[in-house]
Amino acid sequence: MATTLPKPFADLEVFVADWSLATQRERERQRSASTAGELTTLYQVLLPRLDAMLEYLNQYELDRLPAGAKRLFYLSLSFAEIAPFVECYKGEPRVPNSFDESRFIAVHADRLP
Amino acid sequence: MTTAIFDVNKRWSEEYPELGTDPVPTEPCISPAYFELERERVFRKVWLYVGREEEIPRPGDYMVRNLKACRTSVIFIRGQDGTIRGFHNICSHRGNKLAWEERGSCRNFACKFHGWVYDTQGQLVGVPDEAFFHNLDKAANGLIPVATELWQGFLFVHMDPQPAQSLADYLGELGQRMGSFPYADLTARYAYQTEIRCNWKVALDAFSEGYHVNVIHGQSYPDTFTGKNNPMCHLPEVRFYGPHRSCIVYGNPKHKPSPAAAVAYRFGETVTKRSAAQDQLPPEVNPTRSAEFGFDLDVIFPNLILHVLPGMWFTHQFWPLDVDRTLWEGRAYWPPATTPGERFAQEFNNTVLRNAWLEDTGTMEATQEALSSGVKTHFHLQEQEILIRHSYKVLEDYVGFYAANGNA
Repeated sequence: MATTLPKPFADLEVFVADWSLATQRERERQRSASTAGELTTLYQVLLPRLDAMLEYLNQYELDRLPAGAKRLFYLSLSFAEIAPFVECYKGEPRVPNSFDESRFIAVHADRLP
Repeated sequence: MTTAIFDVNKRWSEEYPELGTDPVPTEPCISPAYFELERERVFRKVWLYVGREEEIPRPGDYMVRNLKACRTSVIFIRGQDGTIRGFHNICSHRGNKLAWEERGSCRNFACKFHGWVYDTQGQLVGVPDEAFFHNLDKAANGLIPVATELWQGFLFVHMDPQPAQSLADYLGELGQRMGSFPYADLTARYAYQTEIRCNWKVALDAFSEGYHVNVIHGQSYPDTFTGKNNPMCHLPEVRFYGPHRSCIVYGNPKHKPSPAAAVAYRFGETVTKRSAAQDQLPPEVNPTRSAEFGFDLDVIFPNLILHVLPGMWFTHQFWPLDVDRTLWEGRAYWPPATTPGERFAQEFNNTVLRNAWLEDTGTMEATQEALSSGVKTHFHLQEQEILIRHSYKVLEDYVGFYAANGNA
């Protein structure tokens, strides 16, 4: 199958469309619109690959990632977005007993990768 | 400096008996009369933090803050001479609001009503059809100034253009203690804000103690700020500096990272990692360099909390909009990431922090709604909530509500 990710990570291609997202805002939206099952699957597949992903990415400068590496980088940032929900809240896509997240404005989130 | 106490079993009321041990009235959180006095006697009378100097780096850069607590909107602008000044956001002609954008950059301000023009230092430099005015003295009709001063890149405003007390004197010993931290180097900013339907002190109080950690953050931070030696998140240090206050929040040196956190630790500096960045701390913060230091928490009266720890700093600010409405702003500052791995670590730790702030703010509106019934007249505060006790005492010293109306 064709891959848009660097070759060693071609098997993660199935997650690219939903999770290789360029801004924090998009990743937050995708997380809160997902099910516990979807978040848990993403977590379980990416966790054992994460060290290898970040080591691969670290061969590049942060602002000079080639296109494939950039997609992999965004995938790692999606892991950073969803992991606490799997580890702390049993995969619930929203923080339990919390303030209404839709009213919680992340001022930085549209421009930060 | 006073001797450092690092004791998680300290009964702080014995150290500070002047704060008493009685329950504290809830009235200041729900009384419109109290709120009006706060506005006049606190927010219009003290130095208030409004933002970082780096937010307006170039001449002509400006930001506007709507300071409802002071009944005004203020333009902060870096002049062509490089100096930051503050002006009421109001045209000298007939009072129209001058700057309508929250931030921007300009060579001058032109009023959208009749086109009066002011330069970046507030001088009135252009009046259309000027010859038809009567004895208009342009030099005396520049923008109306407020006082501004900087402390370590933190921009403060005072509504009195010539305040009796300088910012350095106002911050006093706390300013000296917290001065030597590389705030300006940690510029990767994560900024959250929301309007919360609660009194500003309900929000401030919730961030001023560690007693809530086990309950509210039991899932997000299960063992970061509590441990075998300190299961209830007791504060190992508490200090007061005039109207300001500070404490150390405990950090568990035996904290067990989650699998994702363990990856973040390997690839970057993190909020939960105890590290070499200890050396960044000012010498008087955690002077013994105890491994059980979590972070330093400093409340700068009236509405700013500054937190400092190795590798990052963060603030909470609470802007009263009305007696039961508050603009809350949470800002976290990290070192700019230099590698993808560091950026990942930062993102992970910030996600956990954001979730904790969603937990913290989660109780506030329900608390306000319940308090507003008036049926509960007093808060019961325990030893570890002594910062809140100090907060209400200092506030009353400024406001004088009970001095005028009798005891609660």
